[in-house]
Amino acid sequence: MSTDAARPDAADGGALAPWVGGYLRDHAIHIAVVAFFIVYPFLYDVLVGQFGLPAEMLLPRLQTMLVVLWLGLFAMSFDFVSGYTGYLSFGHAAFFGIGAYTVVLGANGQLPLLPGGLSFMTLMLVSALLAVVVAFLIGLVSFRLSGVYFAMITLGFAEIMYVASRNWDWLTPGQSDPSDGINTPAEFNPELGVPFVDPLQVETGVFGDDAILGINFGDLLVYNENLGAIVASYFAIGAVVLVCYLAMQRIIHSPFGRVMIAIRENEERAKAIGYDTFKFKLGAFMISAFFGAVAGALLVAYRGSVNPDAAFFFLVTGFALVAAIIGGLGTLAGPFFGYIFLEGIEEFLARGGSGGGLQPFLAEFLPGGILETTIGGDLTVSGALDAFMTGHGEFYAGIVFVIFVLYVPIGILGTLRLRLGTDSVATYVSRRLGGSTGTGGSGGGGDSGAGESATAAGSVTAEGGEEDDPREGGPAEGSEEDDPSEGGPAEGGK
Amino acid sequence: MIEHLLILGDLLDLFTSPSRLIAVLIEGLAKASLYVMIASGLTLIFGLMDVINFAHGAFTMYGAYMAGGLILAVGAAEMGFAMVVVVFLLVMLTIFLVLALVGTVMEVSLIRRLYEYPPIFQILLTFGIAITLEEFMRMFVEFQGINNGQYRFGWETPRLETVPTALRGATDIGLVRFENIHVLEILLGVVTIVAIWTFLNRTRYGLFVRAGVEDEEMAAALGINVKQTFTVVFAIGSGIAGAAGVILMWDPLWSVSVPLALAVLLPAFVIVIVGGLGSFKGTVVASLLVGMIDAFGTWAFQTGAITFTGIDDMMIFGILVVMLILQPRGLFGVEGQGDHG
Repeated sequence: MSTDAARPDAADGGALAPWVGGYLRDHAIHIAVVAFFIVYPFLYDVLVGQFGLPAEMLLPRLQTMLVVLWLGLFAMSFDFVSGYTGYLSFGHAAFFGIGAYTVVLGANGQLPLLPGGLSFMTLMLVSALLAVVVAFLIGLVSFRLSGVYFAMITLGFAEIMYVASRNWDWLTPGQSDPSDGINTPAEFNPELGVPFVDPLQVETGVFGDDAILGINFGDLLVYNENLGAIVASYFAIGAVVLVCYLAMQRIIHSPFGRVMIAIRENEERAKAIGYDTFKFKLGAFMISAFFGAVAGALLVAYRGSVNPDAAFFFLVTGFALVAAIIGGLGTLAGPFFGYIFLEGIEEFLARGGSGGGLQPFLAEFLPGGILETTIGGDLTVSGALDAFMTGHGEFYAGIVFVIFVLYVPIGILGTLRLRLGTDSVATYVSRRLGGSTGTGGSGGGGDSGAGESATAAGSVTAEGGEEDDPREGGPAEGSEEDDPSEGGPAEGGK
Repeated sequence: MIEHLLILGDLLDLFTSPSRLIAVLIEGLAKASLYVMIASGLTLIFGLMDVINFAHGAFTMYGAYMAGGLILAVGAAEMGFAMVVVVFLLVMLTIFLVLALVGTVMEVSLIRRLYEYPPIFQILLTFGIAITLEEFMRMFVEFQGINNGQYRFGWETPRLETVPTALRGATDIGLVRFENIHVLEILLGVVTIVAIWTFLNRTRYGLFVRAGVEDEEMAAALGINVKQTFTVVFAIGSGIAGAAGVILMWDPLWSVSVPLALAVLLPAFVIVIVGGLGSFKGTVVASLLVGMIDAFGTWAFQTGAITFTGIDDMMIFGILVVMLILQPRGLFGVEGQGDHG
C-alpha cells in the first residue's frame, strides 16, 4: 500500500473541507511538535521566571535548543543516507564543513568565480550545491565499496578535508592560523527568509533582529527580554530546518525512497528487480550532502564563524551517529529528537557556560555541611561537583549511548513505533483521531516509512532467528519476508 | 618551474647521498615500528571477532598516562640509563597486563552481549566506550592539573620528566645521523612482530585463533572454546594497544595528551584497512609502507620542497583513499570480510 495510492482516495472522498480535515489529521503529530517548538521559548521564559533554579535545572536553555536545530538537521541528513540505504557515511562531516566553510569564504569574497557581497541565502544554496558536487565525486568512487570499506573511504575523504582546513593558509589570508578557524567580516549580516519577500527576512545571530513581521520577541518574553535576538534566530533557523525535514521526508516516501529502503533490506534483490542501485545510492548520498551542507551553513548563520573542529572533525559525524542511534536509526525525525535528548542530558549533568543543570541546583540547595565535607585530600563535595558536573558532557553522553546500544538499540522513536504497533507515530495519531480515509494507516505525507522501524527491530530483538553468521547481517537483515507491519514498503513484499 | 627544479635537485641529492637516504630509511623504520604496535592489536581483534574496536585509541592513551604515572612513581627520573630502560620495560609489561585485564572485563561484560547483532552495534558500543573513557581522562587530567601546571600528586607531563638523557639526542655513526629513541622503537617493533607471529603460528592458542578466523562454527564444532578464544584475543589486542602507548609517551612526535586517542585510532584504522582487514602480514607491510611514506614526506617538508604543514596526516589518509580505490580489499585482504554492516 503505497502513499501514492492513498492520496487520491482521500482527495476523492468529498469536497475541500474533508480533504483538509484529513490532511490536518494525518499531520496532527507534526503540527503538535512544531507548535511545541514555537511555544517552547515562551514556556521556558515563564517557567524559569516563575520557578527559578529548579526549572532552569530541568529545561534545556534556548541557546541549546538553537544549537540542536542545525546539529539535528545534520543528524537527520546523516540518517537519510546511513539509516535508509544502510551505507554508513562515516565522513559525513565533510558536507557539514563544506556548507560552513563555503559560506564563510563566500562572505569573505574568497571564492573564485563568485562575486563578493552575495546574500546569505545565495551562499547557503551555493554551498549546498557544492556539497552535492563533492558528494557526487566521492560517491562515484566510494559506492563501489560496501560495509566497513565504504565507511572508511568516506572517513578518509573527510579527514583529508579536515587536515586541509587546519593547515591550508589560503583559508586565512590575514595570516592567522587556519586551525583557529575563520570569521565572517563584520559587515556580513546573515539574513534568512523567504526569497524576494522583504518583511520575511530575519537577520540571525546574537546581535541580529529581535523581531519578525513586527513582532518583537524581546517584548513577548516576560523575564528574559535580552533573549529576543536568540528567539528570532531560533524561529528563522527552525523554519529552514522544518522545510528541510519535510523535503527529506517527502523523498523518503517517494518511490525513490522506497528503493533506498529496498537497498538497505536486500541490495541484491533490488538489483535483481531491475533497479540500478548504484544510481540510487549516489542520488541518496548527494541529497543528504545537500541537507548536511545546509546544516553547516546554518551554523555560520548564527555563529558568524567556523573552525575545523566544529566542521570537518571526525566527532561531528560521531555525535550525529550517537544522536541517530539514540533517536532511532532509519526514522528520519528520530535523530533530531535524539540530539535534543543527548544535549538535554549533557546540560543536565554537565552544564556548559552559563547553562542550568544539576550542579548549580545542588550547590544552592544542598546544606553547607555536606558541601564542605571532604572526600579525600583537600577535595570537598562542592569541589567534586565543580570538577565532575561542569563541562565534560561527552562523558555522560558516552554512558547514555552505551546504555542505548545495549538496551534500546532501535532508539527512542523506533521503540515508540514498536510499542504502538505502528509504522509511524503520525499514522497512529491520525488513526486515533478517527481517520475516515480508511487507508489503513498509510495516509498522506504523515506516513513515516511503513514498517521500516519494525523491520529494524526485527533483526535486533528477534535473537532467536539470528543463527546465521553475523557478518552476513546488514543493519536490518533477516526479516524482509515476514514483515510484521501492515503497510510494509512496496518493495518489501517481493 | 624553478620550484620544481629545486625539488628535483633535492631528490637527486637524497638518492646520490647514501647517508642521507639511510637516515630517512631509519626514520621510516622507526615510524613503521610505532605503526605496527598501534595497529596490530586492532588487526588481531578484527581478524577473529569482526569487531572494530573504537576504544583502541583510548586504551593507548590510558597506557601512555598510566606509564607516565608509574615511571614517575618509582622515581625513574633519578636512575641511571640501564636502570631506566629496565624500569621502562617492566612498566610496559605491567601496562600490557593491566589493559589486557581491562579488555577482558570489557569483552565479558559488554561486547559479548552483542555478537548476535549486526557488526555495526559492536562498532557503536566500542565508540560509546571510547568517548566515555576519553572524556573521563580529560576530566581527571584537568582536575589533577596535569597539563596546566598545577599538580596535585606530582604528575608532571610524564614525557619530559622520564625520558633518559641518553635517549634524547641524536647520534652520528659515520655520516649517518639518527635519533636515539628510534633505535628503541625499532627494537620494540621487531619484538612485537616476532611475538605476535610466534603467538599465531607457534602456540596452541594461536592455532585456535587461526581456526576461528578461518571458520568459527567449524572450530567450535571441533571442540575449540571459541568464546574463550575471543576473550583472550580481545585481551591481547587491548594489552598491545596499551603497551604501544608506553613507547608513544617517549616519542617527541606523539607524547601524551587526551587527543592522543584519536591521533592513534585513525592511523591504526588506515593501516588495518590498507593491509587488508584481519591480515597480520598485511598490517606489517602496510605499516612499513605508511612509515616510509611518512618519513619521506617529513624529509620533503624539512628540505622546504613542501610547505604544507599537515603533509603527514594528509598523506596517511591519501594512502587510504587511493588504496581503497585501486585495491578495495587492501593489500592482503580476503574477499567478503568487512563487506557488510
